Amino acid sequence: MSTQETSPTNLLTRLDHLIDRAEGWILGWGVIIMATNTIANVFGRYVFSQSIYFTEELNEFLIIIITFMGLGYVTRKGRHIRMSAFYDLLPNRSKKLLMIVIAAVTAVAMFILAWYAFEYVEKMARRGRVTPALQVPLYMTYLWVIVGFALTGVQYVLTVVKNLDLSDDDVYISYSTVDQYEDPEISEVMHLYQQDHDLEQPPQDASLSPNPNDTNNNHNSNNTGEIRS
Amino acid sequence: MTLMMIAVMFLLLALGFPMMMPLLAATLLAFFVFMPDLNLQLVVQQMIGGVKPAALIAIPMFILAADIITRGHSADRLVDLVMRFMGHIRGGMAVSVTAACALFGAVCGSTQATVVAVGGAMRPRMLKAGYNDSFTMGLIINAADLAYLIPPSIGMIIYGVISGTSISELFIAGLGPGFLIIGLFTVYCIYYAKKHNIPVEPRASWKERFDSLRRALWPLGFPTIIVGGIYGGVFSPTEAAAICVMYALVLEAFVFKSITYSDVMDIAKSTGAITSVVFILIAAGAAFSWVLSYAQIPQQIIASVGLEGASPLMTLVAINIAFFVGCMFVDSIVVILILVPIFAPLVKAAGLDPVLVGVLITLQVAIGAATPPFGCNIFTAVAVFRRPFMDVIRGVPPFLVVLLFATVLLVIFPQISLFLRDIAFR
Repeated sequence: MSTQETSPTNLLTRLDHLIDRAEGWILGWGVIIMATNTIANVFGRYVFSQSIYFTEELNEFLIIIITFMGLGYVTRKGRHIRMSAFYDLLPNRSKKLLMIVIAAVTAVAMFILAWYAFEYVEKMARRGRVTPALQVPLYMTYLWVIVGFALTGVQYVLTVVKNLDLSDDDVYISYSTVDQYEDPEISEVMHLYQQDHDLEQPPQDASLSPNPNDTNNNHNSNNTGEIRS
Repeated sequence: MTLMMIAVMFLLLALGFPMMMPLLAATLLAFFVFMPDLNLQLVVQQMIGGVKPAALIAIPMFILAADIITRGHSADRLVDLVMRFMGHIRGGMAVSVTAACALFGAVCGSTQATVVAVGGAMRPRMLKAGYNDSFTMGLIINAADLAYLIPPSIGMIIYGVISGTSISELFIAGLGPGFLIIGLFTVYCIYYAKKHNIPVEPRASWKERFDSLRRALWPLGFPTIIVGGIYGGVFSPTEAAAICVMYALVLEAFVFKSITYSDVMDIAKSTGAITSVVFILIAAGAAFSWVLSYAQIPQQIIASVGLEGASPLMTLVAINIAFFVGCMFVDSIVVILILVPIFAPLVKAAGLDPVLVGVLITLQVAIGAATPPFGCNIFTAVAVFRRPFMDVIRGVPPFLVVLLFATVLLVIFPQISLFLRDIAFR
């Protein structure tokens, strides 16, 4: 980020950071609680021969939160699986335009889904159904779907805004992440691998850029015509 | 309608949209244009319903366990173990790669992680021992396929949930073909080493062997929990996955001390992100397949390609070809989500065992991961070994032939996969 930022951009960036922290926190704890819950249930079943009555329901709730709240998080980190073989062949300027189209269309789809999710949840709330084991109103579980779709839609709108700045040569796959050539999943694995093995590596090497969250990474040529798969 | 949906999907796919979009866009299009009297709330309802099945919880649990374990040194320990026992036969090092991939694949279900973990440890040793680099890389990316076939396997879990097949049976039925491929690779490796006169390694002493076994004992607990627990009918796959998480945590935090308390949150976040990537596809796939079955699209497609009333053998051949070609281009999960519902009526009409179909699909998905142009193992190898794409794929063809031969064997003799299942569950 440059130093002379206008205040609305600054505000957006800070808001984006805040949402990022919140989503990361929800994701992390969601997984931890889910693991604890599932393990506890196994112990309950085998050691005390008594299943926990709400395990399945809690896991349903958690997987919905992780899936839909994670959607925005994953979008921000640019980690969606894409087939980018043809996209990668384009010159930078065309890529930027294509990315604007992709982000805009995806944003529209997300908002459509958010709207119908809202209608669906509202219907649930009106009927006043509760979950069988925990007796929580069912719509509380589904509320997160609306939030997730809406935040993802906003994230894609921000991506459009970011890419509209044509003086900036970088292509942004999300508001805060520059599009990189290498597969984020691979760089994640590579990152872990290097932590353990201290692979000798020239620091400027492109294919080993360690962290998908490393936003300052510029384009590096890679002659493979690769897919993020 | 079918044509238009297919056209939209291919267009969005080729343009590089996130993978969920081809599925969602085709679904939304069908609702807006062809079924305007249906409420779009159904899409949301199907998406939520798609991620809810309890069996799917096994996926984040296995990802979490693998995420914890890849931060430690389990791969090195397993490689060491097989090297000490098999290193001294001719071609022993290449055979060890196959065995190590299978063992590591039993710890984690990701072919890419297997390429990194086993390949990183074995490739320098193989080059030193006189193996050709193309052969080495071809072997590593193809042997890594075993990770998909040998439980735990995310592809099998997703197939099991959307086709209503028992995941326990699928896991156990994957073992037979896994061993078949290990056997075929072993034969080919020994033949290769004989032909190219690769020198043999010195034999390890029994003390060294015992030592390596002791060191590998902890990681070997994973296959014991997963295969033993499921085979013995003690655990469901989800329960086995949960126990694996606990085991991995205890192992890495207290025995090997390779992760700290603060790492746990990072690992959980990373697992959550991967889970979300996979599950949004499952959600979109659920909505998509609802449209497919509502509009009876599979029946139309099957009729239009002349597969109606196909014999079981023809059906299997068609399934194999469709999945093999699909996985050469698109991510395996997406291929499973799209093609399984399309083939479902055909499988049912032909009276095929869904477990056999699932194993064949998993095998094709795994082979696709190592097949040019877009197999993900290849790109992992390009990144890890920092060799050009063309160098990496030069060694692939012989192994591809071996794997396709294994497919043919499996189609002709389904018992290879089903006998263990029959012993355990029938």
